[in-house]
Amino acid sequence: MTPTNNPPALAIDALRFRYGAQKGNSFELHLDSLRLESAEEMLLIGRSGCGKSTLLQLIAGLLDPTSGSIRIGGSDIHAVKGATRDRLRGRTIGMVFQTFNLLQGFSARENVQIALLMSDALAGDRAESNARAEALLRSLGIEQLDALAEELSIGQQQRVAIARALVCRPTLVLADEPTASLDPENALNAVRVLRDACREQGAALLVVSHDPSLEAHFARRYTLNSTKAVAT
Amino acid sequence: MNDFGIVVRSLRVRAFSTTVVIALVAMSAGLLLAILSLRTAGQRAFERGTGNAHLLVSRDGSPLVSVLNSLFYANPPKAPIDAAAVTALRESFPWAMFVPTAIGDSYRTFPVVATVPEYFTKFEPVFGEPWTFAQGRAFTADFEVVLGSSVERDTGLRLGAKIVLTHGSGKSREGVDEHAHEHREYEFTVVGILAPSGSPHDRALFTDLDSSWMLHAHDRFERAGTHKTVTPADLTEADRVVTAVMLRLPSRDGVSAPPALMSQYDKLRRDGSLTVALPANEVQRLFDIIAGIDVLFLAMAMATLASSAVAILLSMVNSMSERSRQVAILRVLGASRARIFWLVLTESTLIGLVGAAIGVVVCSVVLYAATEWMRSAHGIVIAPQLDARSAILVAMGTTLLAAAAGIVPSVLAYRTSVARSLRPVG
Repeated sequence: MTPTNNPPALAIDALRFRYGAQKGNSFELHLDSLRLESAEEMLLIGRSGCGKSTLLQLIAGLLDPTSGSIRIGGSDIHAVKGATRDRLRGRTIGMVFQTFNLLQGFSARENVQIALLMSDALAGDRAESNARAEALLRSLGIEQLDALAEELSIGQQQRVAIARALVCRPTLVLADEPTASLDPENALNAVRVLRDACREQGAALLVVSHDPSLEAHFARRYTLNSTKAVAT
Repeated sequence: MNDFGIVVRSLRVRAFSTTVVIALVAMSAGLLLAILSLRTAGQRAFERGTGNAHLLVSRDGSPLVSVLNSLFYANPPKAPIDAAAVTALRESFPWAMFVPTAIGDSYRTFPVVATVPEYFTKFEPVFGEPWTFAQGRAFTADFEVVLGSSVERDTGLRLGAKIVLTHGSGKSREGVDEHAHEHREYEFTVVGILAPSGSPHDRALFTDLDSSWMLHAHDRFERAGTHKTVTPADLTEADRVVTAVMLRLPSRDGVSAPPALMSQYDKLRRDGSLTVALPANEVQRLFDIIAGIDVLFLAMAMATLASSAVAILLSMVNSMSERSRQVAILRVLGASRARIFWLVLTESTLIGLVGAAIGVVVCSVVLYAATEWMRSAHGIVIAPQLDARSAILVAMGTTLLAAAAGIVPSVLAYRTSVARSLRPVG
């Protein structure tokens, strides 16, 4: 990866997050430093319960850290609050989930357009929204643009989910166990599609997985083992 | 796709519960609006049915019963006024209108009013609106009959048709008049068809008093074992009874209640054997009696509307568990908590708005159906006036109530935990 003058897609510094206090046994996640440049890929691995998904939610601004900073393309997502942070998340971060989380009752096209709508990325430009969603879906091999999400095959649903994550041209794509519900062959295929799409869009990709078969496909891997029980 | 499109699509995804709740809101709003519209229209319709008679004299149990029986044909009057009393009444004052009526016979359950030709010239079925004939003429001889407009419409009888009348109403409170029997010996000829008057009289048939009395005299002869065709010459004073007399005092044009009315009213009431009614007052009294029920109906309609708001609340709260994932996805995609709040609130408001709009349509249909039924079954014409102001107020109230019902689910959506809601299922 060639270093550039652009700020990194993801920069985490001195991150501390304490959780689980209400259940009586508190844990603390700490991460001293993590960098991910534009269009760079990284696989985040770690044992079950080590805080991988929690880290993704911290990066997405859905949880607030106890201390430290998380910058997305140079913007500290926790420095802003409320609707501003939500909009920033919508525009700079794309998320792909294990179960895809497509909206039932909405077509493939609409599932993608909703991302543009919720992030106000195109300020209500319907024609551009439609064109962008359509082009992205077609590039991922989805031709049934108006088929309802629940009518699509698992593979097609995953592609729609990828399109939704990328349609706002985000700086960073977070994928939380994207292959957990797929068989090994489809899992590798799904990761390939995801990586290709991110590369094409110039988005950095952070994949969280406990699937060891993926390790060989990522040049950068980060093992999260930095949580510890703390006294409450 | 815009925010409104998301709202509509969310409602469509839950099509069944959405439809049920909208139907409930529509019925509630429609019911409330119908009651509001009918409460004044009903009174107007009854007032319209009293005609131009200043006084109604009968031997019914009370003035109200007298009006309901003789002008609205609720039941055939039971106690007749004998010929001597009728003559005394006629000679007691220089009446501008003196129209005796005898009600007790029927044709296919339509009441037959035996009366005098002045019924068509002096009595106005609606004040200021005299009778007009759509076809034919008034009866001028025995065994001729004139049809009210509803009778003509419902029976299909035409001028010249021959019919036989039933002695008795053909119906009772239990639905069957056991004493009713047809007088096949006496055929009546249809000689006139009245134009619609928008009064209960539209569903009556009219013949002359002699013909009616002859039917009754026939029964008298039968009971005595004499079988003969009765003629006017066979009638006795005992046969010549009526069930009511409609009276009108002389008055200047346009004056509905002349000064002498109350003195004549008081004078007639001194005869304890007679029941004297001021028809317009009795209708007012009737509505005073049912005013409490009216308010009760209104309260029930409002309670129904409130319960439909509760249904919206429950339906949306119940759906929140399955929708929390949708809310979380929208949050991840960049929607603020406030936007989620408004999306959910718009859903409930839209349910209220659509329900209210359908309710207005339902109300129009119900009013139309009720009007038709009242007209055909009771001859009472209720003008279906869907008051625009009431419609707007009910629609606005329903929508606001629905919006209020949506506050709790909107707050739940606002507080949805994104992290918890996006956990994989299973």
